[in-house]
Amino acid sequence: MSTFNSRQRKAASVVGILVLLIPIVLLGMPASGRDGGGGMLAQLRSEHDLGESDLGQIDPTSATMSFVLLGMRGIAVNMLRMDLDEYKDRKEWALMRSTTEAVITLQPHYVEVWRFLGWNMAWNVSAEWDAVPDRYYWVKEGGKFYQRGTRRNAAIPELTYETGRVWGQKIGMSDEWRYFRNYFKTDPDTKTYPNGVDPDINPNQLDNYLVAGEWARRSNEREENRQQHIMARPLFRSLPARAQLSYADALQRDVRFITASRFRDESASDQEAEDKAYAMRQSNFALSRQEWAEGFRIWTEQFGQEEFQVAGADKRIIFRLEADEDDVRELAERQKEAGVTEEEIRGAIDGYQKMANYNYWRTRAQAEADESTGTAEAHRLIYEGELKLRSGNPDEARDMLVRGMARFAQLIEEYPDLKDEDLTVEEAVWAVLLWTKCLELLGDPIPATFPLKATWDKYQGLLPELQQRYSRGD
Amino acid sequence: MLAMTLQPVSFDLLDGVIQWLVVFAGFAATFLAVAIATSIPLHGMSGPGRVLKGTLRGLVDVFTVSPRRVYAIAMLAFKESIRRKALLVFVIFAALFMFAGWFMEADAARPDLHLMNLVAFVFRAMTWLVLPVVVLMSCWGLPEDIRLRSLHTVVTKPVRRSEVVLGRMLGFSAVGTVIIALMSVVGYGWILRHVPDDVSLFCRVPVYGQVSFLDRQGNPGEGVNVGDIDQTRSFIEGGSKAAAIWQFPLDQKPDELRIESRFEAFRTWKGNMDRSLRVRLTAINEQADLRVPIATYEVAEFSYNEIVVDRNIKVVDEQTLEESTVDLFEDLVVPFDPENEVHQQLQGDASAGVLTIQAQCLDRGQYIGLSAGDCFLRLADRSFAVGYFKATFGLWLQCVLLVMIAVTASCFVKFPVAFLFTFSNWIVGSLAYGFMLEIVSGKQKGGGAAESIYRLVTHMNETTPLPDNLFTKSIVAFDKPLVEGLGIIRHLIPDLSIYSMSDWLAKGFDVPWNGMLLPAIATTLAYLLPCLFLGYFSLRLRELEAK
Repeated sequence: MSTFNSRQRKAASVVGILVLLIPIVLLGMPASGRDGGGGMLAQLRSEHDLGESDLGQIDPTSATMSFVLLGMRGIAVNMLRMDLDEYKDRKEWALMRSTTEAVITLQPHYVEVWRFLGWNMAWNVSAEWDAVPDRYYWVKEGGKFYQRGTRRNAAIPELTYETGRVWGQKIGMSDEWRYFRNYFKTDPDTKTYPNGVDPDINPNQLDNYLVAGEWARRSNEREENRQQHIMARPLFRSLPARAQLSYADALQRDVRFITASRFRDESASDQEAEDKAYAMRQSNFALSRQEWAEGFRIWTEQFGQEEFQVAGADKRIIFRLEADEDDVRELAERQKEAGVTEEEIRGAIDGYQKMANYNYWRTRAQAEADESTGTAEAHRLIYEGELKLRSGNPDEARDMLVRGMARFAQLIEEYPDLKDEDLTVEEAVWAVLLWTKCLELLGDPIPATFPLKATWDKYQGLLPELQQRYSRGD
Repeated sequence: MLAMTLQPVSFDLLDGVIQWLVVFAGFAATFLAVAIATSIPLHGMSGPGRVLKGTLRGLVDVFTVSPRRVYAIAMLAFKESIRRKALLVFVIFAALFMFAGWFMEADAARPDLHLMNLVAFVFRAMTWLVLPVVVLMSCWGLPEDIRLRSLHTVVTKPVRRSEVVLGRMLGFSAVGTVIIALMSVVGYGWILRHVPDDVSLFCRVPVYGQVSFLDRQGNPGEGVNVGDIDQTRSFIEGGSKAAAIWQFPLDQKPDELRIESRFEAFRTWKGNMDRSLRVRLTAINEQADLRVPIATYEVAEFSYNEIVVDRNIKVVDEQTLEESTVDLFEDLVVPFDPENEVHQQLQGDASAGVLTIQAQCLDRGQYIGLSAGDCFLRLADRSFAVGYFKATFGLWLQCVLLVMIAVTASCFVKFPVAFLFTFSNWIVGSLAYGFMLEIVSGKQKGGGAAESIYRLVTHMNETTPLPDNLFTKSIVAFDKPLVEGLGIIRHLIPDLSIYSMSDWLAKGFDVPWNGMLLPAIATTLAYLLPCLFLGYFSLRLRELEAK
């Protein structure tokens, strides 16, 4: 029989509750705050790289929420998802964002929920906004959301892939890519990030494709232990190398926006600004060539050397994408006991190469990096020729363009696989079109023969579109 | 970042009172007729007289309650509730507020968004903690008294049953009042503690106008639908004569006018991405054929643009380039015209005249989305506390209403049924009232309950016509009286969405008197008499020995 009266027992209970709250707070506080690392559990998880998928369903915050909702988590999530859709339809972004948090708090291990909600912000919501910095804010929200998903689901390759996709594809290939790529290095929200660095996504102010490549590498590391369900394996494994190739390509694209206006404020004269822009374009072309070379190396020496397997009727065929005849023989020899023939290996390589567009990227990277053909110089001459033409110097433009065309013709000769490739053809026809414009202005006739004539004659169908582009001044 | 605009809400008190009288009289007459009809087989020809006598006695009982006895019953209900540990709800409340901060991290880039979440959280927590507890107790009180026979002791005293019902209502309402008062003060402090430093707390006081649209040729129209699911806004085409025109009532002539707008941009082509779409506001006096541009600005989408217009506006003649000054009130504001149809629809005091503002998009081929509430004159702001406690008052009114319904229900059914009844009213009134109206009006596709089940089972889209056969005809025939019945009883179910005043606060607005507070007060009062009568007669007719 207890000797305490009712009031004393109640007081003891209250004290007990308060005492127990202390360890709950110390242990369970989630690591969502900017300034702190959360409770002890959150810190330990972070320290040992343990997402909750390794710890089971013991997320203290989620458990608290479930308790609050009297265990009716499924129903609560359903209602929240319906609310979320409605808020989105009504463009109630603040409510939609907070409901997203509520949903993910209740379903922290449901990968498809992370995938959908992150995509919703990065793609759908961002497109609803008019100002580009606002769009960028929502792209970041989506990407950061995925990043959190990767921390809470440490073994899942899909979420690292999605993170890389936002930083790579969304930032680098949207309509607004020109703005987004700059923002990724120097954030437009100067109030929150006075030095232009958003530490959550790009603390070192790297190019978006380099960051995307890093996430792709992490995806590949996770994929070695856990199967992904997004795309065919060779495509998934090619992502780090593709990010590098995209980086090199983007450096070339960026050149179009390096103009004197960028340097006008810091230059004493217009000529100085022009010179600075010219120097920067040159250095960009040079850097691009180096990065293509690096891309070629990663494509052929890392991705190309990975061993893949396909299941035959009664055997498994092991092969790699970068393989010449000697390699095929060596692979067949290794698998002789399993009954794998050279023919089967060639078939498997061919199928996977087509799937990953392996040979195109191999050739393109090699051609772009090739110093002997001077592809980078060809790009540069054509672009500088265009600038000269637009600035009213058809004489200089003609000389530059014809030199660029000659180098381009050499490139096509060296790499015949690129002869009918879209980008190559477009640039070749574009160069000749600009050159003809110069001749027109100078009153010179078009000679019977000139570099790239075969391509020009073959692809006359592209002219209307390119004429429009010329008229628009793009 | 603020969300979509709040729309001006109009409420006609006189119209509401008339409607209330019609519904009340209709139901009272129906009840009386049914009572008289059933009294004849039970009591013979003396039945109708007994019913009328009983009704008269009821009227006397209801209108001559003793405040002292009502107070005593109310205090009894209050003490009972405390004994039943109603205040334990504070433990959950405390736990929620202690841990809520974990889930509500402030976003430095969007501090106003954070405020919105804080307000929404506080009111959601109060609503879902207070109302179920108070409703449970209200449903429990009388049936429990009957079960324990404590009511027998009460009714043998000189206490009228109307006083029992009213006392219970007041007692449980008092419990709700105490809980809401304490929670709202704690919630207010919690918001102040969690709100980011760079967010200033205030409540806008808007003056809304009547909006109309011109199409791209400059003819009266309705704006363009650009395919948004939410069709609150109409869109006007840039670089054309398309425009939105607001007419605002003015009750004073200040030295400057603050105009706030929150438009949406919609691009049909990429255009200039270095800036947002541009809009121009022009003040118009059609009578004097005077058009004065007052501002051109880029649309701050999902946020707001605020411009201050000085009373004296400098105008440059485009042809002569001569500069002149226009007085906003003398030259642009026109007197209120009681014959003018638009002026008749204006809400608010137009004693100082009516100001016409036109908005146009300046970017060719692009569109600006607008609605009535997207542009308003902003009067001097009020304190955040004013809006907060008004919204709390709205919650309290809702609590009182639910208590009245719960106590009434507990007079004629047992606790579980009374609770289900009140809970259903609450859910339908707050979450599904619009849906119910759509079913009743026939706007909701897919038919009634039976047809919906049929479509669900057969995986039939709600817009696909039903196959023409006997079975489907019988389904439709089965649904018809149900839907019509719903059409009748919908008048009895309260529209609880009018009590959600925290939306205004969360979006930085003061809770309007005419649009929100007045209809909320009127609705709560409208249920008082019917509930009192129903509860009283139920308790009088109820066999107290039946537990």
